[in-house]
Formats: sequence, C-alpha cells, structure tokens
Amino acid sequence: MIGFLTRRAGAAIAVLLVLTAAVFVLQQNSPGDPVKAYLGANASPAAVAAERASLHLDDPLASRYWHYLTQALRGDLGTSYRTHRPVTADLGAFLPATVELVVVAFLFALLLGAVFAMLRTIAGTFVRGILLVGATAPPFLLALGGIILFYAHLGWLPATGRGGNDDGFLLTHSLVTGDWAQLGAGLQHVVLPALVLAVAPAVSIGRILRASLQQTLGADHVRTARAKGLTEAAVFGRHVLRNSIGPGLSMAGLQLGFMFAGVVVVEQIFSWPGIGNYLAESIPAADYPAIAGVTVVLGAVYVVTNTVVDMIQALADPRIAL
Amino acid sequence: MSDAAVVPRRFGVRSRTPAVHNTTLNRLLVGLLLLVTLIALAARLLAPDDPIQPAGDFNLPPGSPGHLLGTDLIGRDLLSRTLWGIQASWLSALAVVLVGLLVGGLIGLVAGASGGWVDNVLMRLTDLFLALPGVLVAIAIVAALGPGLVHTLIGISIVWWPYYARIIRGEVRALAARPHVEAARLAGASRGRILRRHLLPGAVPTAIVTASLDIGNVVLLLAGLSFIGLGQLAPAPELGADTARALTQLLAQWWVPVIPGLAVMLLSLVANLGGDALRGLLDGRR
Amino acid sequence: MIASVEDLHVTLRGNPVLRGVSLSVRPGEILGLVGESGSGKSVLALTLMGLLPPDAHPQVTGAVHVAGTDMVHGSAASHRAVRRRELGVIFQDPMTSLNPTMRIGRQITEVTRDRGRAVQLLEHVGVADAAMRLRVYPHELSGGLRQRVMTAIAVAGRPSLIIADEPTTALDVTVQAQVLSLLRDLRDEYGCSVLFITHDLAVAAQITDRIGVLYAGRLAELGPTRELLSHPEHPYTAGLLRSRLSLSTPRRRELPTLAAEAGPRGSGCAYHTRCPLAVDRCVDEQPPLTGDEHVRACWRDISDLPSDETAAESGDLDGAADGAPVVRLRGVRCDFKLRNGWRRAGTLKALDGVDLDVAPGEAVSIVGESGSGKSTLLRVIAGLIKPTGGTREISGGTQMVFQDAGSSLTPWLTIGELLRERLLPLRLSRTEQDQRVEAALTRIGLPAEVAAARPRQLSGGQRQRVALARATIVPPAVLLCDEPTSALDASLAASVLNLIRQLRADLGMAVVFVTHDLAVARLMGDRIVVMTRGRIAETGTADDIVSRPQADYTKTLLAAVPEIAP
Repeated sequence: MIGFLTRRAGAAIAVLLVLTAAVFVLQQNSPGDPVKAYLGANASPAAVAAERASLHLDDPLASRYWHYLTQALRGDLGTSYRTHRPVTADLGAFLPATVELVVVAFLFALLLGAVFAMLRTIAGTFVRGILLVGATAPPFLLALGGIILFYAHLGWLPATGRGGNDDGFLLTHSLVTGDWAQLGAGLQHVVLPALVLAVAPAVSIGRILRASLQQTLGADHVRTARAKGLTEAAVFGRHVLRNSIGPGLSMAGLQLGFMFAGVVVVEQIFSWPGIGNYLAESIPAADYPAIAGVTVVLGAVYVVTNTVVDMIQALADPRIAL
Repeated sequence: MSDAAVVPRRFGVRSRTPAVHNTTLNRLLVGLLLLVTLIALAARLLAPDDPIQPAGDFNLPPGSPGHLLGTDLIGRDLLSRTLWGIQASWLSALAVVLVGLLVGGLIGLVAGASGGWVDNVLMRLTDLFLALPGVLVAIAIVAALGPGLVHTLIGISIVWWPYYARIIRGEVRALAARPHVEAARLAGASRGRILRRHLLPGAVPTAIVTASLDIGNVVLLLAGLSFIGLGQLAPAPELGADTARALTQLLAQWWVPVIPGLAVMLLSLVANLGGDALRGLLDGRR
Repeated sequence: MIASVEDLHVTLRGNPVLRGVSLSVRPGEILGLVGESGSGKSVLALTLMGLLPPDAHPQVTGAVHVAGTDMVHGSAASHRAVRRRELGVIFQDPMTSLNPTMRIGRQITEVTRDRGRAVQLLEHVGVADAAMRLRVYPHELSGGLRQRVMTAIAVAGRPSLIIADEPTTALDVTVQAQVLSLLRDLRDEYGCSVLFITHDLAVAAQITDRIGVLYAGRLAELGPTRELLSHPEHPYTAGLLRSRLSLSTPRRRELPTLAAEAGPRGSGCAYHTRCPLAVDRCVDEQPPLTGDEHVRACWRDISDLPSDETAAESGDLDGAADGAPVVRLRGVRCDFKLRNGWRRAGTLKALDGVDLDVAPGEAVSIVGESGSGKSTLLRVIAGLIKPTGGTREISGGTQMVFQDAGSSLTPWLTIGELLRERLLPLRLSRTEQDQRVEAALTRIGLPAEVAAARPRQLSGGQRQRVALARATIVPPAVLLCDEPTSALDASLAASVLNLIRQLRADLGMAVVFVTHDLAVARLMGDRIVVMTRGRIAETGTADDIVSRPQADYTKTLLAAVPEIAP
C-alpha cells in the first residue's frame, strides 16, 4: 500500500513536470507577445523591455523553468498577464465552480451509466437510445439544443451562470448553511451544463459496465450461486455486481479526468465562471502563467483521480494487489 | 413446449446478446464510411458557392431557393461552408488516426514482438504519455503553439498514438503467447517471417476496428478544440469554429450555429456505425 | 425417487440435445452418467436444477421431478426452493465455479447461515485450519482444496441429491482419488443420493452403484455398475470399454478404437453409423429401452459382436537403435521468477537438476502431475526455453506437437502454407513442395484437398493430424509430444496415438511423449520417466514402472489411477 502510494506520487510528479515543461518549451516558439497584451498596444518600447525584464521573459528557458518550479513549490504560480492577479488567487476563485459542476456531472454520468447498463425495461431501452445518439453529438451541439429546448422554448431552466456568487462552493455552502432558496437556484443552474457534460461519459461507463455484467452473468460462479437456490436479487447483488464493477470503475475514473478537460467547452457556452472559462480566455491572450497554472491543477486532479480509482478497484477485487 | 425451466431475469442484462451479424447491413454501413470520405474529398466540386464570399441575403433560413441550408450573418452559403467544414474535419480526423495507427502500431508491434527490455522501455514511454491527461495536453500544446488547424492536428497526434501502441502491443503479446508462434519457431521460421506471417495479420483487424471507431472521437475532439478557438482560423470554414462564432444568433437564427454542429454529429455517427459494422464483418470472418 | 426424468427432450438453439431420456435417481444411490462430449449429460444436470441458460432458448418437453417438484413447469420460486433445500451441486472447474471476490466462509454461510457449521463442514471435507480458511479467497487455495470447498458448499444445505458434473476432470489423478472417496464418505454419512457425471467409465466404476450410458441425447444402456461393466449389452458401451486405454492394454498391438461417425444419423439409432452390428432396421427405427434392472436400447444381440482379437500385431515397437543419444541433458535446471506486479515474489524451480538421454528411435514417456515440470522439460529439449543451468545437447532436429492443436496452427494461414513453411530451407520448386505436402497429408490419413483449408474448418482430431503432418513433413530426429490427446474424446485419442506410433515406426524418429496419464505413458513409451516437483522420481522400462514401481511417488500415482476391475 505504502509502496503503491509512493510509486503513484512519483508518477504524479513526473506527469506534472512533463506538463509544465511542455507548456514552457512550447511558449518559447509561440507567436503572441504576452507583454503587449499585458501593457496594452500603446506601451512604449522602453516600458515593454522593462516589463519583459521584470517578468524574467528574457532569461534562458531553463532558468525560467527552474524559477517557476521553485516558486510553485512555495505555492506561487506566477501572475496572470491578463487579470494582473496571482494565478493561485484566480484558480482559487474559479476552481470551486468547476469542481461543483464536474462533481454533479459525474454523479449524473454514474447514474445514467448504471441505467444504461442495467435497466431492462422499455424505459431502459429508451434511455439507452437517447444516450447513444447524444454521445455522437459534440457537447456544444447538446448545449445549444438544451438551451433552445429548456430555456428558450419551455422556460424550465436558466442558460447562464451559477445562480449566485461566481466564486466559492455555492452548492456545498448553501447545503451546509441550509440556504434552501440558494440551493434550489444553484441546482437549477447546474442541471443543464452538468447533463451536457455527462452524456458521453455516461455512455462510455454504461457500455463497459454492461459488457462486464454480461460476462459475469455467464460466469461459472454465478451458476453456482443460482444452484445454491439464491434469489435472483441476491445472485445479482452479491455475486454479479461486485465482480463486474471493476472495469466500469476504471472507465469512470478515466472519464472523470476527461470531464475536467471537456468542461472548457461547456463552461464557455453556459458562461459558467469556472476554470475552463478562465483557460479559454487565457489562450487568446497568450497568458502563459494562467495556462500553466490550469494545466498543473487539472493534471494533478487527473493523477489523483486515477490513483483513487485504482485503490477502489483493489478493494472490489481481492485478486488485484496494489 | 414450455420454457419455464429457464431462470427468470429481472435484474441485469442477458448473459450474452447476439452479435449483429447482418452482413448486408454491415457492408452498407462500411460503405457509408467510404461515401463520407468521397464527399469530403470532393467538397470543392460539390459546394455550390464559395465558402468565404457572401453569396446571397443575410440569415436565410434552410430551404431558401438557391441556398438549401440557408445563409449566415454575412450571407455566406451554409451548405458550402458545411461541405468545406466536413472536408477539414473528416480528413483531419483520418490523418490523426492514421498517424496514431502508424506510430502507435509500429511501437506496439515492436514492443509486443520483442518483449524483454525493448518492450519495457517502449511501454514505460507509452505509459508516461497515457498518464498525461490527453485532451488537456492537446489544449496546452495548441494554446502554446497558437491556434491553427495544423497546430491542432500536431497537438492531438502527440497525445493520440499511445492508445494504439497499448492496444496493438496487447494484441501482439496475446498472439505471441499462443502456441502457434512457438510452433512457427520450431518449424524454422525466421524472426522476420514470424512477425510478418504469424503475428501481424492477427493484429491488423483489431487495429483497423479500433482506428475506425476512433475517427468519431477525433472528429468530436477537433470540433471541441476549434469551438474554443484553437482550430482553423477565420474566415476559413470549420464546423466547431462556425458554431462558436454564431453563438449569439442562437435564439434568433438557430440554424446558423446548429447546422455545423449537426454536421459534426453526422460525421461522428457515421464513424461509429461504420466502425461497429467493420467489427461485425471482421468478427464474422474469424 | 429423489429425482426422476420421464421422456425428456431438450432443444438448445434449435438443436436437439436430449432426445427422450427417462431415468430416476434412487434414495442413497450414486448414479453415474457417462458419455462423450456433446452427449447431453451436462444439459441433463442443468435441466434437473432448472438452470438451462435462457439465451440458448431452451425448449423442454417431458417430465422432470426433483423431490416431488416439477422442474419443467411451476414457478421460479418453487425451483429455487428445490435448489436451496434438496440439491447440492459440484461443477467441473473449481477455480471458475467459486466467486473469486468473496471469502470462502461467506460462500458457505450463504447456504448454512451459520459460521460454526461452516467451520464444521470445512473440517468435514478435509480442509485443515478450517476456522482460518474461512477468511481466504478462492485464488489462494490449491485446485484440490477448492474442489473440497465446492463439496462443502454442495452438502451445506443437507441436500437429498448432489449433482456432480465432471467434478474431478480438472484435477490431478491423486487429488481425483481423494475427492472421489470424499464424495462416497459424504453419501454414506448424509444418506443423500449423488448423480455423478463423467466422460470416463473407469472413474464412474470407482464410485457409482449404477451407470447410465448416454449417447447423442439418449440412454444407450443403464444398469448396476458391476454388471454393466462386466456384461455390457449395448455395442457402444462395449466399444467404450474395449477402447479404453488401461494399464493392462496390450502394448505391442494397435490400440483399439471406435469407428468414427460416418454419414447421416437418420431417424433410427444414432449410433448406427459407428456400430459394427448395425442392420437396416437400426437406420430407421429407434430402439426402445428394454430390460428390468439392466436396460439397453438396441435391436441386436450383443453376443453377435465380433471378438476384439482381430487387431493386428503392429510389429516390434522397441525400435531404439544403438548410437549416440539424440537428446542428452545433464543437470538441467530451470527457474522462473515469479512477480507480483513490480515486486519479486519468489522463484519457482520448474526443473531442478534433470538428466535425460534419448537414444535414436527410442520412445520415452514423461509422466507427472500438473506442476511437475514435465512440459517445461519438453520445452527445454525443443529449445523454446533456455535452461537456467546444466547442459543440453541435441543432435538432429526436434519437432513438437502441442496439447491444443487448434491454437498451435496459425489461424489465418492455410494448411498448405503452414506445411510448406517447413520446406523453405530445402529450396524446393513449387511442384516438389506440393508433392511433399500431399505426401505428408496422405501419410497422416487426410485428403490432399485439406491443404487449401484453414485450421478452423477442421475438426479437433483433424487439426492434431495436421500438426503431426507439419512435424513430420521433414522427419525430425526427435518428435516431442505435449499431451497431444488430452483434449480429445477417448476413441479419437486412441486413433491419434496409433498414428504417432505408426509415424515413429515409418520414419524411425525418437518420440518423447509427455502425459499425465500413466496408462497412455505405458503405451507410448519403451521407457517411462516419472517426474515430480521438477525432478525425476524414477526411470524404468514401461512394464517395470507399472508392475514393479520403486519410488514412493510412483506407487502413489499408480494407486490413484482409476481402473476397471476385471
């Protein structure tokens, strides 16, 4: 267990190093000039040069990277060229909104994935069909369709924002403090973007889970369980589900990682004040500290998710040793 | 006759659903893949108007005379733009998949067939790439290189090959563990001959099926990236970017942003159905 | 009657599997059900349990009663109640039949609902440290222990009938003997009945009170074990008994085989295409089961069966020539590093100092249980594995035939391409190649057209013949055989063994034959090497090993071989 965590921590550090290094190397060859963006187009050449010096932009790449790493270890990811605020402050403001959106979307994905895999009624077939078609659509098309239908046409759901403050854990906070009106508004706002984000992962999870359930149902030990005279519910609950859940779980973990990247598109359409929107706005501004900061945070989330999934899988299946 | 001796199943799924082995239907669906490729290649000939110059009134709805899918904010023909956009998306997706298949396939084949330290080194490298959040890396690469279709393709290709390397390597290792490879070794076949005659043909169907099912994923990813402004630069037609640029028109002239989105969906649908059909055909032949 | 089946027909996926079976299991008896693969014996067991696979779209007619409950009609709940209260089941493969993610204690208490009783049961079936073993997962147990756990689960609900479907087929012969005696003890103690399904008449002979012989979904014969074995009344039973390879089968004679199925079965007796007694009536008319205690379904009188003294003497088998050995191993060791993920979990000594000489033209059998290192030894001789230590000298080429012929033939290449591959170094012209291929196929008894076929178009027996053709198209100095017949039905196996002996005599090769079956080892080798735990326990001439074993291990092995008492 400790060995497993040590290995994973090492892998995580390697991944983050590669990610940040990639951003640094690539920005060297990029066309945009962040200082012009930072100071405005009318800045004097002297001011630009001074600013470049203060941002260490003229230093050799390796020394800048080293500087970035040592600062990052102290919790300083630099200053955004665009917002002129520390990147960590920006991330702190935008990350909670993204986390809440992705967590709600992930719960939707798990739920829909389970329905996709297990429901055998007409309703199940219906949900499966809708999800299968939905998964072939690009998320922005789903979002547009959702807005046209539920906002413009039916007027059931709002189309933009979180329904409250932009920063902080709005849903969690209102739930903890018992602010039901705020919670209701927050939930109403999160439903549409979360659903859009959940469709494709739900199908991926559902497909894998379904295939794995099918395989387990045909397994010899399930025949043994039936031969014991167990009820179908007991056979399914005790002998099928746990043995099938592994592949579904690892797919869910993979999809959770993907969702943190896919959130960029969805946040932009729904004007969701999250980290994805922040990234989308930073890219045209060539705001490298911000891009690197987002990359580091999302990369870390990705690695941690995968580690947790591996641990859950080992719990579910005693044959897997960590 | 009675089938009451059968276990009733209210929970879960049937233990095995019959595979779709309708050969005619499958051939038709695979034909669809080829048809879309032809359309993409011939977009220049099929498009009635220039995709960049205005060709009629502003914001004509679909079905307008001379403009089957209508026109956009500045009067450009949407059918023409969509056809050109299909060309860009589909051919790009094919290119990414092809590069992934060639690079990943070669690495996977060499790793799987050699085993030992070669396998170890190549797979550690692949694992490192797989541990990176692929889409995020693609975004970061494109963001750093600056927007543009070629940069996007480079970005996606860099994160795409490891999947193929893993899959092909797994397939080759599974084949290499089969006695037929040992039998070929005993029969006196050379290493090259074993790789060519006894391993490669077994891995090809899996590779082709994986790749064809993957075209849809790449189409979606490309559209997503260009939607957030990382793809084709304006005014060149590109499906995701066209949707993004027309977002403000959504509630007034819904067709302008929705039609390119529907085109993306169509492409990914064709790719998925075609890939599934190809798998059905190849499974049936085994 | 504990269980009874009346005129049972079962169709799966549109194919008739059982075609009118009637039998009943009496209180306290062990009823054996014997048949080759595809005879429908497992389907009969599943029908009794009410567990036919629904996706095979089973269609059932006839009556099936277990402890008075109708298992064809009636509610699912009543079937379940029968399974819970009246039935205990043991399946073939104890690895896959236990839930890999559930502690075995839980798997037993699911039936007993009482931990103390679970411990008792485990002790009862001979699992040491029972209380501790409750917390163990199936993959942490050996095959024999797993089957004991499976048996404990089967008897946990104090059933009136235990259905055992090939319970010992996946086990080593010494473990098989233990499980068989355990089953008999449990029957004596609990007074339950046992339906014992097997493909091996000798195994059935060890434990059963009565035996039913199933052929193509119908009972050919059913009678008290002793009587049925000593006086079979159906030509199929007689044929099975005659073609069974035992420790007393004459060595120098061609091995007796059952005729292969030829032509359509027609509406009559399904066995008529293979039957030496078949007459016109057998083709069209289904014979009914006749007799009282010992019943059989045959129009003919068994005493008309030709005696089996017709098999030809196949000449001198001891063809070992003088000269330098073609295989010479000295102190061969072979270690496998076991890994658990990244960590080294230990070393497995697959071979631990083996010396072996094979003279030109000699036939050597290597016999041992799973894990004895016999297959590893063969691979070392073939050069597929590099030994960790010791010396290996081979003169002349080696070729090998594998256990699973199907997977040893490259699926996408034609038989012709596979055979020609061995001719490449000879640089022959295309016509010469084709001639050699045709000659090789003819030699193993297949038509030349087979060269254009792909492996999946052939039957299991044909594939093994093709594998032999590939090995011998350029005759090697040594032919290595790794259990080439263990996946084949008994009569098919005998014909492949005959072929190997024939090829050896014709081509003058040495043969090293690996098997887990002492009877087969004795028939295929002039000399037998007994292996256990990576070492050679004993070497001797075939008859010496069987009649005068020296090593303790050989004696244990011999004692465990199921034989039909004359």
